[in-house]
Amino acid sequence: MPDNMNIYRPLKAKLTNVIEESPLIKTFVLVPEERFAFKTGQFIELSVDGIGEAPFTPSSSPFITEKLEVTVMKTGYVTEYMHSLKPGVCMGIRGPYGRGYPVETFYDKEVLILGGGCGLAPIRSLLYALEGIKDKLRKVTLCYGSKTPVDCIYKPLFDRLNSIEKFEAYRTVDRADEGWKGSVGVVTILLNKIDININNSVAIVCGPPIMMKFGTIRLLELGYQDNQIYLSMEKNMSCGLGKCGHCMMGEFFVCKDGPVFTYDEIKHNPEIWK
Amino acid sequence: MKVTISELKKIRFFDNYDDEELNIFIRISSIKEFKVKEMLFEQYDELSDVFVLFEGCLSLGISLASEKRIHLGTLEEGQLFSWSAVFKPHISTAWVMATCPTKVLAIDAKQLNLELEKNCKFGFKTMAKIAQTISHRLSDTRFQLMNQLTI
Repeated sequence: MPDNMNIYRPLKAKLTNVIEESPLIKTFVLVPEERFAFKTGQFIELSVDGIGEAPFTPSSSPFITEKLEVTVMKTGYVTEYMHSLKPGVCMGIRGPYGRGYPVETFYDKEVLILGGGCGLAPIRSLLYALEGIKDKLRKVTLCYGSKTPVDCIYKPLFDRLNSIEKFEAYRTVDRADEGWKGSVGVVTILLNKIDININNSVAIVCGPPIMMKFGTIRLLELGYQDNQIYLSMEKNMSCGLGKCGHCMMGEFFVCKDGPVFTYDEIKHNPEIWK
Repeated sequence: MKVTISELKKIRFFDNYDDEELNIFIRISSIKEFKVKEMLFEQYDELSDVFVLFEGCLSLGISLASEKRIHLGTLEEGQLFSWSAVFKPHISTAWVMATCPTKVLAIDAKQLNLELEKNCKFGFKTMAKIAQTISHRLSDTRFQLMNQLTI
């Protein structure tokens, strides 16, 4: 079988820059050897020779195909090694895999995005995608929470979003420091200040499982229907092809059928918030 | 300082009240202003007013036995707080401090309780809103606690 027919063979990509977002999170800027297109919300498998591979959702714009950005939190063996990499090394990319955000179904609606921690990485890509179609949207509201001000990633993103017509962004932190003047508390407190037409909106939730659970509960309480809530269930993806079964969640393969699901699709699954 | 119907209508807490019901609030409430770092009340204070944040910024927290103040969060405009004023023993469970010049609507809790008893529809609506406020606070506290317990 020729190499280009091997679905497990990664595409080479050169690491051109590493941006430190927070003490535990870095963004890796990669230039693939050929143009790499993905739909926002889809994920890739990123590999380091001799170390292993791990799934990540690109945090860059889906409209840019010559460059890819992946934001990585140091949580395990592969990610810890990745955090030691310097620009110039060659990495591998497989994908894109799975089902992304159905942004074309958001036309003429208000989009509410609830994000927490490193969950802002896939959301940033979605925000770029929504910015590209903002003429077709009513409004985009981002509510984001991080543990502390230092843990907040993409800090300049918030001012930028607030300067874009139809976009607004709010931040909160669980624990403030001396210099913090904004909201303090979990991300759901931001829902007390936003003004949204729930009947004509969709909500997107992406972040740690605890945040997704409490965020979804509050959205349902506000009046969102199950099929108006999109959850980015990024967990345990491995092969990306629905073969290894590593990411099975009930009848779904997260890697193939997700990672983006409506709450309606997966609400009966007992593993949903695990 | 008295509040007007049009001012109340801008505040989220008063959504779904008709003019007659808003007039009840106007009769039994007044606007109070607080300076930066001024305490609205301390934990364990006996409360006589229920507050709704009109404009400004407020911090809410608890004090430990060591008198160390723990900042739990901020309140957003339109939020109701000091609901303990409505229920016996009317003792606050937290402290609240202004962190910028702040205006709140102070609703006399004794008079509010009388109105709640007198007018069932108004009473049910208001108690449902207070219950929702407490439910949100409890849910947020659980969320905050679980956040602290995980990486």
